[in-house]
Amino acid sequence: MTDTTNPTHAARAHRFSLRSILNNAGIGLALLAIILFFSVFTEHFLTSNNITNILTQITINLILAVGMTFVILIGGIDLSVGSVMALAAVVAGKAITMPGLGDGEAIILAILAGMLAGVVCGIFNGVVSAFWALPSFIITLGMLNIARGAALHISDAQTIYSFPFAFEEFGSAMIYGIPIVFLVALAMVVVAWFILNFTVFGRLIYGIGNNEEAVRLAGHPVFWYKVGAFTICGLCAGIAAIIYMARLNIASPIAGIAFELNAIAAVIIGGTSLSGGRGSVIGTLLGAFIIGVLANGLILIGLNDFMRQMITGVVIIIAVILDYYRAKYASK
Amino acid sequence: MKLFKLAAAAATGIALLSGTAFAQDDKPVVGLVMKSLANEFFQNMLEGAKEHEKARGDYELKAVGMQNETDFESQINAVDTFITQGVDAIVIAPADSRAMVRPLKKAIEAGIVVVNFDVALDEEAKKEQGVELAFVGPDNRGGAEMAGDALGSKLGEGGKVVIIEGNPGADNATQRRLGFEDSVAEYKLDLLDSRTAHWETEEANTVFSNMLTANPDVQGVMAANDSMAIGVVKALESAGRDDILVVGFDNIPAVGPMIEDGRMLATVDQFGTDMAANAIDLALEVVAGGPALEGWVKTPIELVTAE
Repeated sequence: MTDTTNPTHAARAHRFSLRSILNNAGIGLALLAIILFFSVFTEHFLTSNNITNILTQITINLILAVGMTFVILIGGIDLSVGSVMALAAVVAGKAITMPGLGDGEAIILAILAGMLAGVVCGIFNGVVSAFWALPSFIITLGMLNIARGAALHISDAQTIYSFPFAFEEFGSAMIYGIPIVFLVALAMVVVAWFILNFTVFGRLIYGIGNNEEAVRLAGHPVFWYKVGAFTICGLCAGIAAIIYMARLNIASPIAGIAFELNAIAAVIIGGTSLSGGRGSVIGTLLGAFIIGVLANGLILIGLNDFMRQMITGVVIIIAVILDYYRAKYASK
Repeated sequence: MKLFKLAAAAATGIALLSGTAFAQDDKPVVGLVMKSLANEFFQNMLEGAKEHEKARGDYELKAVGMQNETDFESQINAVDTFITQGVDAIVIAPADSRAMVRPLKKAIEAGIVVVNFDVALDEEAKKEQGVELAFVGPDNRGGAEMAGDALGSKLGEGGKVVIIEGNPGADNATQRRLGFEDSVAEYKLDLLDSRTAHWETEEANTVFSNMLTANPDVQGVMAANDSMAIGVVKALESAGRDDILVVGFDNIPAVGPMIEDGRMLATVDQFGTDMAANAIDLALEVVAGGPALEGWVKTPIELVTAE
């Protein structure tokens, strides 16, 4: 990397700063505290079966949140990921149940079709919001409806089912008690971490979130970087759809309702700033764990549904308040 | 803005034109107000009603659906539109058992035959508004009890069960939970836990996995719909448990193979495809001069098992 424009340089300095390490350490400590709490107060929490369950349960949210991290880092938001996931699932479901295909062909076709559906929606979100400089909040709200409507239309509102056995196997397979689907998500975190920290594209994602004008004046095609961020988010929704199908062996057009909110929550709890430019995908990983561990532990402890929902809400608000102090500290 | 007004005027014009078209044609017009067409249960019901229109051929069907389960705004608008168009009958599956009473009262006052199906309007709200209206629909509580009893008779006294509920506050969710609880009382089952998964497969999968961790000795699961039962079955498969019995509700096509190979013990069919069509038949009888409907006209339900 010979690129030494200002935003890039500033962001790179940030990467290795004590502060950024402390940020993630703070979230990690919060996660540890929650884990400790549940380990003491419930007997089943720290069992290998339950840990496997937690890993499986956070997989889809984690994948969606990885994509969401890119969009939030550029100062945008993507409200459509839950619906896009449903659309990708339905498209992949139609592909995998297409008559006259061998199991292998059907699975490969489904995976490609699902990812393509996600990518197309992501490109649309990116191009429309970046070209006219419109708030992505509104554009992706539109896409939320377009994708959900398309999913319902294509599937005729019917649940698609009965997939090849090998596909189902993949959804429940494990290596040393770790679900393969979780390893897929973890691999995506690593790839995203690499992209964000060690490529020009990644560093400029931070740069756009910090000071879009500076990146533009430095001669970078901001438009395409923004489209790139939304495309990655769409691709993640497509991959989440494939995982969803493999896990449950169905493709439902009403899947993923409000999943975008959980994904955004994971990113924000993970310390990424809603105004962009600051945060990390490692934080997102920890944020997804906090949400998943809470959801799991609060059931094990026997708390009722409504209390559970309230506590999740409180955690999100605490995370945003912490983010306020982080931002204040960072601006000094 | 001008363009918008023009479009609105054009739309009104078309509505008026089609209104006169009804009047010239002697066939009675039935306005069908459905719940969320995103739900395959209602989608199938709508298809059933459309086929019914073709098969009978002596009435005209105007159907309106909604975006989601709780969108009663657009149901109110649909009822108003039907009143304006002067339809002969309105057949409605209310999205909210209280909010829909007042707009339907307006329809009755306009001389339209109103039939309430699928979910019953709230008795209190009806009394308050001075509305008398029969209900045509299945006994959700009785149906859930049939499924619960199938489970209870297999497990016997003291069997440990959990319930997966539908959307909190939704009338059919409440009725089904009460039905399951009736079975729990009847067979003296041990109810370990009862939680919502909002009718959804993925959430049921997650929620039930965690319930299973907390209660590994559970023997039976009562799910308030089949989508959630599928999530439960997948959770049992990945936990490697084949000793736990599952019952659902709705008899959607996807559970057919699961009932056959024993992964599910039973589900309940309330013949959703025919439900709107049956309600339309009843409405047309009244339109043709038959006596007004009274009380609760129960529609058939049936327990579905492998036998």
